[in-house]
Amino acid sequence: MSKKELQVPENNFYTEEHIWVQQLDEKSSIFLVGITDYAQNQLNEIIFVGTPDVGDTFDANESFGDVESLKAVNELYMPVSGEIKAVNEELEDTPNLVNQSPYGSGWILQIEIDELTSIQNLLSASDYIELTGG
Amino acid sequence: MENEKLVILGGGPGGYSAAFSAARKGFDVTLVEQNKVGGTCLNAGCVPTKTIKASTEALQVAKRMREFGVDFDGNIQPNIEAIINRKSKVCSTLRGGLEKTCKQLGVTFVNGRGKFLDNRTVEITRVDGTKHQIEADKIIIATGTRTLQLPDLPFDHACVISSDDALEITRIPEEMIILGGGVIGCELAGIFCELGTKVTIVEGQNRLLPIPGIDESISALLLKELKKKKVKVYLNRTLEELIVQGNQASCTVKDSPFNPPAKQGKDIQLSADTLLVTIGRAPNSENMGLDKAGVTIDERGWIKVNQYLETVTSGIYAIGDVLGPHRYMLAHVATMEGLHVIEELTKNKQKMDYRVVPSAIFTSPEIGCVGLSENEAKLAGFDTETETLPMRVLGKSQAMGELSGLCKIVADKESGEVLGIHIASAHATDILAESTLVIKEKLSIDSLVNTIHAHPTLAEGIFEAALAMKERRNNNE
Repeated sequence: MSKKELQVPENNFYTEEHIWVQQLDEKSSIFLVGITDYAQNQLNEIIFVGTPDVGDTFDANESFGDVESLKAVNELYMPVSGEIKAVNEELEDTPNLVNQSPYGSGWILQIEIDELTSIQNLLSASDYIELTGG
Repeated sequence: MENEKLVILGGGPGGYSAAFSAARKGFDVTLVEQNKVGGTCLNAGCVPTKTIKASTEALQVAKRMREFGVDFDGNIQPNIEAIINRKSKVCSTLRGGLEKTCKQLGVTFVNGRGKFLDNRTVEITRVDGTKHQIEADKIIIATGTRTLQLPDLPFDHACVISSDDALEITRIPEEMIILGGGVIGCELAGIFCELGTKVTIVEGQNRLLPIPGIDESISALLLKELKKKKVKVYLNRTLEELIVQGNQASCTVKDSPFNPPAKQGKDIQLSADTLLVTIGRAPNSENMGLDKAGVTIDERGWIKVNQYLETVTSGIYAIGDVLGPHRYMLAHVATMEGLHVIEELTKNKQKMDYRVVPSAIFTSPEIGCVGLSENEAKLAGFDTETETLPMRVLGKSQAMGELSGLCKIVADKESGEVLGIHIASAHATDILAESTLVIKEKLSIDSLVNTIHAHPTLAEGIFEAALAMKERRNNNE
């Protein structure tokens, strides 16, 4: 995939570990979390997504799961602190949704963030584009 | 040793190995076994589980045929009766081999139960009720263990079952709760989930296979692999309020008293048609007149021996699982202990060497470990260095379609001496022997790197991990 085609939605937040974060709605403390288009493209065919359980709590930068492709297993690191509210159960049987739609049906989990302001520490879309050589 | 009388109580791997070795050295050997020759290993442990697992592996391959480019239109389903029959046949064949060896070597095999009358006299009650006494010069106790049951909910062998029952099962359970995520619980979880049972494991410790020698990376990998197979695992949790009504077992999953979590977990109600209890083993050391022989046991019934495997009574030895979990409850250790005692009886006394004991665990993927886990090495004061290789980078793993797994080497940072090797992969147990030799001979990672490993093989995982470690060490120099 060329750089032009790489999707980095403007309103999401990002981490250097190629995780995206999206607020469910303006007032919500619940955020969607997934891996970026860049990450899925690097990994190639994803065959398993290891997710935490609903109710688990994490600190920022803590490992919360992993993605397995044919070639590699990559740890996933939590962008923010909070409690897991939902995980994408579709990924159990169809992990390559992450390849097909990394920001859509390939979302990984929903987390209720402990401190809303912590989101400001993450990268903006333009920061992330720069990071990935955009 | 001509005509020196040796009585061995217990016909498992420890007992029969000692019997065969002693007979070859000229002892007059009587081997007493109350059940079937071969003990737990051959009849209710290692061999039957591996045989049934071979059936579930065949099933797994059959389900994946399309992935390998083989079209198949028929129905693929397990036939539990045929699976158990095959298992029984394999066990029977191997028992036949042991019985034949007994005859060839002149070992007197008695199907019965031995009881000490004093420190030299054993009374044997055969299964037909007849009794006779033997005056022995030397006696080895190798009576092993049996499944441990819950005090409040004994096995009913239908709904609440032991691992023994699981290996004789006549129906595939729809749902199974396994209490205990140790080796037996995890192996049987793998087997039953392949057969189509919805399996839940409840383990009181903070990881599956909570054994010091099993590296935490291996426990984490197994947890993930079981999760992939939709096995639900509760860690740091225990079962309470267990009841059986009709053919359903119900219980509540609560926080473990052994390992209370920082944050209190919610109680969860579970029910299943089968509750498999794999909480441990109990020693077969009672009702055998040990007190009359002066043999001592600890508060849990495990027989006490010194470093030469001799009990407090001179001439009476004990080997194998009946020595308890503070040693190694493994068939291959019992075998070595049996051979060791016979060596002792014929030569000078030597301490049994437990430094390097490999573990073979038949989960999916298999687990083969030897030496120290990273945590053990740190606790032992080593400045450690580790390297973990994902097995999927190997050509053989890709060719076989067996991607999950890792090979982790734990080494001494300064010398590069290999302290532990931990493998999870297809055939991990089969490729472990090299690692055992490396650690036993105190070799460094250089020895692994300088040894040509055939390509493409899974054993290259050990080589590649060692190579990666060596290259990193070179770069850091």
